[in-house]
Amino acid sequence: MLTTPEQRGTPAEIRKQGGAGMTIRWQDGHASTFGARYLRGRCPCAQCVSEVTGQRLVSEEHIAPDVGIESARTVGNYALHFSFSDGHTTGIYSFDYLRRTCPCPACSGDRPAADA
Amino acid sequence: MTQTLITESKVLDALRSVMDPDLKRDIVSLNFIRNMKIDGETVSFDVNLTTPACPVKERLREQSRQAVLSQVPGVKDVRVNMTAEVRRPPAPETSRIKGVKNIVAVGSGKGGVGKSTVATNIAVSLAKSGASVGLLDADIYGPSIPIMMASSGEPEVKNQIIEPVTAHGVKLMSMGYLSGEMPLIWRGPMAHKALQQSLLGVNWGELDYLIVDLPPGTGDVHLTLVQTVPVTGAVIVSTPQDVGLQISMKTLRMFQQTKVPVLGIVENMSYYVCPHCGGRDDIFGHGGAKKAAETLGIPFLGEIPLDPAIRKHSDTGRPVVLAEPESASARALLDMTGALAQQISIQAFRTIPLTIIEE
Repeated sequence: MLTTPEQRGTPAEIRKQGGAGMTIRWQDGHASTFGARYLRGRCPCAQCVSEVTGQRLVSEEHIAPDVGIESARTVGNYALHFSFSDGHTTGIYSFDYLRRTCPCPACSGDRPAADA
Repeated sequence: MTQTLITESKVLDALRSVMDPDLKRDIVSLNFIRNMKIDGETVSFDVNLTTPACPVKERLREQSRQAVLSQVPGVKDVRVNMTAEVRRPPAPETSRIKGVKNIVAVGSGKGGVGKSTVATNIAVSLAKSGASVGLLDADIYGPSIPIMMASSGEPEVKNQIIEPVTAHGVKLMSMGYLSGEMPLIWRGPMAHKALQQSLLGVNWGELDYLIVDLPPGTGDVHLTLVQTVPVTGAVIVSTPQDVGLQISMKTLRMFQQTKVPVLGIVENMSYYVCPHCGGRDDIFGHGGAKKAAETLGIPFLGEIPLDPAIRKHSDTGRPVVLAEPESASARALLDMTGALAQQISIQAFRTIPLTIIEE
């Protein structure tokens, strides 16, 4: 089935597994499962990614292995916001961004290594 | 003579042949049929549409009548009562304004395209059709809606909640009220706070539609809006000029990036009708927005002429759809609003609720 970028970046269902992580099933049928540490290490906020150079300042290796998601909420129609157990709350993860960062082998194989 | 029994299920079966042209489903499965009564050879029922501004209302009434008359034996008379109830798109209860069913943003790429005039006439046209409507003037740089609606009063504040002003049947709130005569020289965070207060700190009551007139371009106010409340969709106002359109495309992409469905494009100042000779002149070129809408696969909602009457009635605070409802300009605005109301109904049916399920 041919899918549109619109469907690829729009969730059909969002499930949160306690503090451990979450699974998004997309409208094209694909499912992405994100661990809490994986998400925290890919926070798109200005403290974690330099606004000037675009260089990532905080990545997964800087994050405690036991970090959890304390709460999650939707932002308008387009994004998720997380409060992490390390106190970090400034990231707004757009659905398009989440789809692009899907950790499954099929999706991460398409990406350049530095991004993964 | 054999008496054929008229039953509710026979009538419903007949009505299944009537399709809503926008939602592409029959009016029975859409649950539009209410209060059916069978009295001898007379059948009466309500057809409860998704918007009182529905442009195909009369067509659906006639089709429903004909369907029952021709398909149910024994029926001599059919009385169809057209009602409407605006449906709200599913969204988490927590993130929306209590009582407000649909939030519709009106944006433009640049200033001076008549966005506020269009927003005002949309709000008044919807209210005229019988819907309950609010209008939020979020244009911090030039809040003009109080003038266009001739509302000089200031909203009252009761227990920290702002009571909106009512004008021409529309509940009104303007960011201009927050500053009085002073110009709004705000940085981002101040605009952010003021918009949040204007959305959430106002006693809107029960509204079918809340129309939000955005500042031109893309910026803080737009982001705050889409982050604070689920927006049903956005309307983009453009002039036919390519320059205007190019910039409107940026607004369009901003809405797409933030997953706000674009309900359509309106071409304002589409053409000029000379009040002296009646001749038509395409001052800014014509049809540019329609072409762009077709290319992008976005509904084209209508062309609004450049008409001194629209300007005059806006300046005197009585929008043209009220002041001269029979004029060509008012009809263009009313038709455009009907097309928009259709798109809002389609969107309300299409939206999938976004809630986070805890496992």
